[in-house]
Amino acid sequence: MAGRSQHVEPIMENQTRFNLNAALENWRQELAGQANLTAEVRRELETHLRDAIAELCQRGLNEEESFGLARRRVGQPEQLAEEFVKADPAAVWRERVFWMATGALAALFLLTTTTPLITIISYCFPSAGKIVDELTLSLMLWVLQILGITFLIVRGNMNLQSSLLASFFKDRFRFAIMTISVLLIAKTFCATIMLWVYVASRNVHGFNGGPSAFIGNYVFASLVFELVPVAILIWLLPTQNRKTPKRA
Amino acid sequence: MLAKDLVAASSKPLVLSILADGESYGYEIIQKVRELSGGHIEWSDGMLYPVLHRLERDGLIDSEWKEADTGRERKYYFLSSDGRKALKTERQQWLAVHNTLSRLWKIKPVSI
Repeated sequence: MAGRSQHVEPIMENQTRFNLNAALENWRQELAGQANLTAEVRRELETHLRDAIAELCQRGLNEEESFGLARRRVGQPEQLAEEFVKADPAAVWRERVFWMATGALAALFLLTTTTPLITIISYCFPSAGKIVDELTLSLMLWVLQILGITFLIVRGNMNLQSSLLASFFKDRFRFAIMTISVLLIAKTFCATIMLWVYVASRNVHGFNGGPSAFIGNYVFASLVFELVPVAILIWLLPTQNRKTPKRA
Repeated sequence: MLAKDLVAASSKPLVLSILADGESYGYEIIQKVRELSGGHIEWSDGMLYPVLHRLERDGLIDSEWKEADTGRERKYYFLSSDGRKALKTERQQWLAVHNTLSRLWKIKPVSI
């Protein structure tokens, strides 16, 4: 056994000189530097590169040679980006607008759910209202939430690819149904809390008409803003869940 | 080796015809074209994906990420019903060109 391990060592040294994962990571970074390649395209090109490497390795080339050759075959990132822009000039912007709308939706949603929270806080702690007013407090809390989420996403603690969020974006119909119901439930809940606080604090200026009119008005008024990004997202999402095709 | 403009023009019928036989992914499509053409049609790897994406945008093909047998994910493409119609038209047009040339070159034409 001892003799064998001595024999293995020099080979191990040779292999560690080239690190395929590090090389792939480098290549990924290079692709990511091209503003005109969408995340989806980069992911697809990587599967291609991996297939090519696997095949070349099978033919007897070592990992380093396989990587070099496969990478050359896939092409220069700048040239690739050029080709993709020619084929579909708006693709990159569709992806950007999609994420902008997602961000806007999340920001608006947080803003409208923060307000009732503040109403409760200022009801429970009336003295807090003397230090900062409700609007400032809700804005502060909102900024904190946005910063917190941004931090989690950037740090990579929130995996958008495989999270619950990904199932939201599967197709247009599903997204519309799920988002609208989540929004309606959240809004109705907020409106009910607001109503309860207003009634409890006898703040009659808070609403006109009956309780149901208050809830209805609140839900409608705050939904109007979110419907804009929701409409954009519905428009940009794939039309329907594709049927799984038969393999020939 | 095929001239550049001919490569570009023939990519659509080739992709549609390959997908008419069943779903496939970029790497496999390139391999198939290389094999079937006896090495005469050599697509550069990067060139196929813009073509696939354009066909998808035109609604001729659809795509789906799926896990392959190796456990890795790949983006599979398959023909849509519009793609099937487009393939029919492409077929007629290419065979018309083929037959014209065949008659000129005294090779037996095929029935369209």
